[in-house]
Amino acid sequence: MNVIGMDLGTQRVKAVLLKDGEVVSRGQALSGFDPIKAAEQAVDDALKQANLKLSDILYFVATGSAMAIAPYANSTISMMGADAKAGVFLFPKARTIIDVGAEEARAIKCGEKGVMVDFVVNERCAAGAGAFIEAMARALEVKLDDMGPLALKAERASPINASCVIFGESDVVSLIHRQESKPEIARAVFDAMADRISSMVHRLGVNPEVVLVGGVAKDLGFVASLNRKLDIKVSIPQYSDYAGALGAALTAAERAKVGSK
Amino acid sequence: MRKEREMTNETTIKKYMPEVSRKEIEELKTTMKAASQKVIADNIEHMKKADPHRPEAMKYFDEISNLFGKRPEEIAAEKAKGKKVIGYMCLFAPTELIMAADAIPVRVNSGWYDTSKLGDRVVPVEVCPVIRSTIGAKMIELSPFLEQSDALISVLTCDGMTKLSEILSDYKTVWGMNVPRIKDSTQSLRFWNDEIKQMKTQIEQFTGNKITRKNLKEAIETSHRATKAFRRLQELRKGSPVIMGRDAMLVNQTYLWDDKKRWTEKTEALCDELEARAQRKDWVCPPDTPRVMITGTPMFWPDSWKLPTLVEESNPAGIIVADELCSGERILNDPVGVDEWSMDDMLNAIGERYLMASICPCFTSKDGNEDRINWLLNKVKEWKVQGVIYYVVRGCMLYAMEYTRVKKALDKINVPVYYLDTEYTREDVGQMKTRVEAFLEMLTARVDI
Repeated sequence: MNVIGMDLGTQRVKAVLLKDGEVVSRGQALSGFDPIKAAEQAVDDALKQANLKLSDILYFVATGSAMAIAPYANSTISMMGADAKAGVFLFPKARTIIDVGAEEARAIKCGEKGVMVDFVVNERCAAGAGAFIEAMARALEVKLDDMGPLALKAERASPINASCVIFGESDVVSLIHRQESKPEIARAVFDAMADRISSMVHRLGVNPEVVLVGGVAKDLGFVASLNRKLDIKVSIPQYSDYAGALGAALTAAERAKVGSK
Repeated sequence: MRKEREMTNETTIKKYMPEVSRKEIEELKTTMKAASQKVIADNIEHMKKADPHRPEAMKYFDEISNLFGKRPEEIAAEKAKGKKVIGYMCLFAPTELIMAADAIPVRVNSGWYDTSKLGDRVVPVEVCPVIRSTIGAKMIELSPFLEQSDALISVLTCDGMTKLSEILSDYKTVWGMNVPRIKDSTQSLRFWNDEIKQMKTQIEQFTGNKITRKNLKEAIETSHRATKAFRRLQELRKGSPVIMGRDAMLVNQTYLWDDKKRWTEKTEALCDELEARAQRKDWVCPPDTPRVMITGTPMFWPDSWKLPTLVEESNPAGIIVADELCSGERILNDPVGVDEWSMDDMLNAIGERYLMASICPCFTSKDGNEDRINWLLNKVKEWKVQGVIYYVVRGCMLYAMEYTRVKKALDKINVPVYYLDTEYTREDVGQMKTRVEAFLEMLTARVDI
């Protein structure tokens, strides 16, 4: 039984193809101005890798901010629900899932079998999300991918305010004026994000195994800051940015079995 | 009469409000009124669609829901005959005293999103949007009920209300009522009852009508009958759903501006229909639809129907079976309990009903606001609520702060609660939808377990 989960995120569309409960392939495309086309591309990408055709797919589930306009979708699942499913599938003992994406950060608490029982989403501002790192990288004139390695070189922390991208940026500028080093400022950025996210997680209650997914989970600078703040080592799946799509695919497999189209 | 109670602006210099040209007032009023009429029509359209067998009696409430329609016209006609209108901004205002003095009580808080932007000219955006929107509505004379009010009763519950009374006193006579913040002490009740007695004198002098024992008894009885109808409606929401939450919420809220006796008759008629419907087992939605309760910041018609609409039209959808809002089920939940119908006894009973029965988060005590927690837990149990949405508009400090306590209490009985913060804006509907859908999906999944 082949099913596909699609995650139509704000920056990228990701697709995961499951065959009898195993991940066979993944695909992705930039959302750009046409998320529908991007989803078609991501699905096509995944199909090609698996040597399958569209008609071989029994069931599609969509998630992500543009899920309502997803092509092929038989049904949808909320982003939080998808994260919960994927987190517990990948790390069966995990009960807390953190997802940090480009424009949103969320924390989900699960019961057994990956059923979500509570969740919190960051406040409207992007300060707790990936877009914040991008803005701060611009202010520091470093490449986005260099932010993490830079932060890991920092010898100490300098606190900044991360309540909002704009104010955060002016804080960074004042650190620059104080002639703090780039590594320290980069670490300040990740610390501030980790601070906000850890208070979200604490509102839910921390369970021993915490999974971090979403695009930002790839950033080692952020991961180091989050581990420090939460005083644990978060588990990160290899394909952390595909977690939403995986959760959608797992849901597709369940729904296809029930035959609830 | 204590003159210092009155916050009346006797000079023409405005303490707060900026000068706005007549031309600008008229232009903004025309645009915003048209926009609001559209929102009202849209809301009703959505409500009609949600329930194909919508009760006949709802037609009346649809009509009364038009803030620019029949009801302000009726009030204008009464005013032309010499009646006074006394507006109020908080449920603590003793409406029985207003009715007993043959005046018309109307609640005047604004539910318009557009006017909150005008309020930003007077107070910072951090201020609660209910307050900013009411200021904006006054600025451009949008609210017929606020304009028709000859005087306003403002109960100083939260910081926003306190300063709002000062700001509105740039235009109107405002009577402040000082509410004690700790209610379970004998001084508090004594103090509050004194406020009630002074309000009686104030209203009598203002209207020129003496509040007699007979008039007051009649007014209390009118409100008893309304409470009976009101409670009957909420009782009907305990079982499998026979009315959409939005419809019930609209009925509840129209009490704030409708004629009390007519409202009672119409609500009883609605309940008759709903009872028959329950017998036919003609449910408004599948009986396993997740049962939701809303609590938090008051939610004023029409723009604040944003959340109820999302909940009941989400995928998966929920049904609102109860609320704990001072714009909703708290309006008439508690009757004035009179033993002897002497003037003193009636006034004390009014005082007690407004102070002791209130579960507003402006109160604290040695147990904190325990009364609210108990009310919520009881609602959850009796109305079989499966999930609670805790609705807070930015700047509504008291409700925001009490969330943690409410969540702890609900966690204990394993009922999920979601904190949903929003603003007086339509721009966040997409984001709210994502959250509401995830919450309802979670409730549905729990049903499956």
